[in-house]
Amino acid sequence: MGNTELAHTEVKNVVRKRRKKLNSDGKWGLVMVAPYLVHFVVFVLGSLLASLYFSFSEYDILNPPKWTGLENYTKLFNEEIFWKALGNTLYFAVLFVPLQTIFALILATALNQKLRGLKLFRLAHFLPVISSWTVILYVSDAFFNTRFGLANDFLNRMGLEPQTWLQDPHLVIPLLVLIAVWKGIGYIMVIFLAGLQNVPSDVYEAAEIDGAGTFRKFMNITVPLISGTTFLVVVLSTISTFQAFEQIYVMTGGAQDATAAGGPNNSSLVLMIYLYREGFSFLRMGYASAIAWVLFVLLFILTIVQVTLQKKWVHYE
Amino acid sequence: MNRYKLRKSVSYIIITISSLIMFVPFLSTVFNSLKNYAQYTAVPPKWIPNPVQWSNYSEVWKLGPFGQYTMNSAIVTVLSVIGALISCSMVAYAFARIEFPFRNSLFMVVLGTMMIPPVVLIIPQFVIFKNLSMLDTLTPLWLLEWLAQPFGIFLMRQAFLAIPKDYEESAKLDGCNPFQIYWRIFMPMCKPTFATLAVFTFMTKWNEILSPAIFLTSKENFTLPIGILSLGGQYNGSEQYVVAAAMLSLVPILLVFLFAEKYFVQGSNSAGIK
Repeated sequence: MGNTELAHTEVKNVVRKRRKKLNSDGKWGLVMVAPYLVHFVVFVLGSLLASLYFSFSEYDILNPPKWTGLENYTKLFNEEIFWKALGNTLYFAVLFVPLQTIFALILATALNQKLRGLKLFRLAHFLPVISSWTVILYVSDAFFNTRFGLANDFLNRMGLEPQTWLQDPHLVIPLLVLIAVWKGIGYIMVIFLAGLQNVPSDVYEAAEIDGAGTFRKFMNITVPLISGTTFLVVVLSTISTFQAFEQIYVMTGGAQDATAAGGPNNSSLVLMIYLYREGFSFLRMGYASAIAWVLFVLLFILTIVQVTLQKKWVHYE
Repeated sequence: MNRYKLRKSVSYIIITISSLIMFVPFLSTVFNSLKNYAQYTAVPPKWIPNPVQWSNYSEVWKLGPFGQYTMNSAIVTVLSVIGALISCSMVAYAFARIEFPFRNSLFMVVLGTMMIPPVVLIIPQFVIFKNLSMLDTLTPLWLLEWLAQPFGIFLMRQAFLAIPKDYEESAKLDGCNPFQIYWRIFMPMCKPTFATLAVFTFMTKWNEILSPAIFLTSKENFTLPIGILSLGGQYNGSEQYVVAAAMLSLVPILLVFLFAEKYFVQGSNSAGIK
């Protein structure tokens, strides 16, 4: 065997070994992602297709689904209560998302400096974040209980008319929004704080030399430089607000009486509560799936609109 | 300099007011949980309980299956945390460190599924669990955590990507297979990320309401958040015990928060990054 030939076989061997190694690595890779593959195929892709199929069928879970074409959708769009639920969902989101974003940004700005007692402040703001909605129900009840809550006591003392709070059809959504902002603000604040720490301090120093006041610095430096984070917060909270369920279910007494959820008199009925009621109380799974798909499409369009609008107001360096 | 001090004082005022708004309602609720029934329902309300009725907190345990609810919540939460840590880190390791067919397209799928609102998946998942005869058991509440959730995969992958390549090269020379490299070398190096994922899974599962409300029907299978709600209004005169029950349910998550605060903060930031 000549020298060159020897070298040649050697190279071949190395290549073969490499390839074998790669193959065995690839096998390990597939084994290790297997849990996600099962998750994706069964619980995401399969579920997505099933859900789409159900939305075109009559399905009560006990009997196999029966194809009915567009019937669920036409029924849905002709149902007055669907439009009410859609309106309530939009109303909730339009109040909630800006309020939470603005207050969280103000708080984060105030917190973004060396302050004493930072840990205590953070604990106070995270207390509602780590609480379940069940805990929040009893916490807000201390204030908004119609008979012995502190809010009505306060109104009485001021000589004002006591309110029925969450049982008032006009007050229920604004009040739910207020409580939701109160609960979630600590979480959004932390996201903003991380964003603020990326704003270089020399920008502020330069502005100070030019004589800019705190308010102008906030409006002309902080707000534009943090707009990337703001965009993210707005998109994420819009998506989660459109799917809001737990808070309304718990706060309007859905756990004790499923028909009460979204009350009083459907005035806080949002799409998720409507879906829950149709699907799991009345077992109209096909109809409920149609609600889910309308919500999905709505969210998809909204996200695209937000991403498109982003170019107008989000500042990238 | 003066202006600087002014700004600091304004900040202190804003944050103090806001902290009070956050904290006082909890204080009022703790006070409520220590009142007797007459005080709890007094009009006009008395803010501070007098006498302080500590026994409310022992009455809770006699109030229906509260102990069982706590146990159920603990089972679901612990199994979910273990499942999330193992499955997400394993899948994430493969995505970060192993060359395998369709790796990149599959990772795009992971990112894509993060955008699918869970609402479209709930009904088919209910049907799946019904066919597996798992309705009204705790299994549907933790099983999916063992199959790697996208957020956890994303979080762990970021951590694994940050580790220099030399570590696995030398391990490979020592004859470790990819699983051993993941288990013996990478896992111990990413403890903070594990803590973040654990803390977040704990919080989500401990507080979860939608899934238990859908999957559970028998009272004895309830987890704490819906169990406590079902205790409410059982009989007159028990309301203050239920408030005490709610406050008790907050204790474990509060302890986790106090011990692992920095992981809460890190997790919130990664949630923002996603």
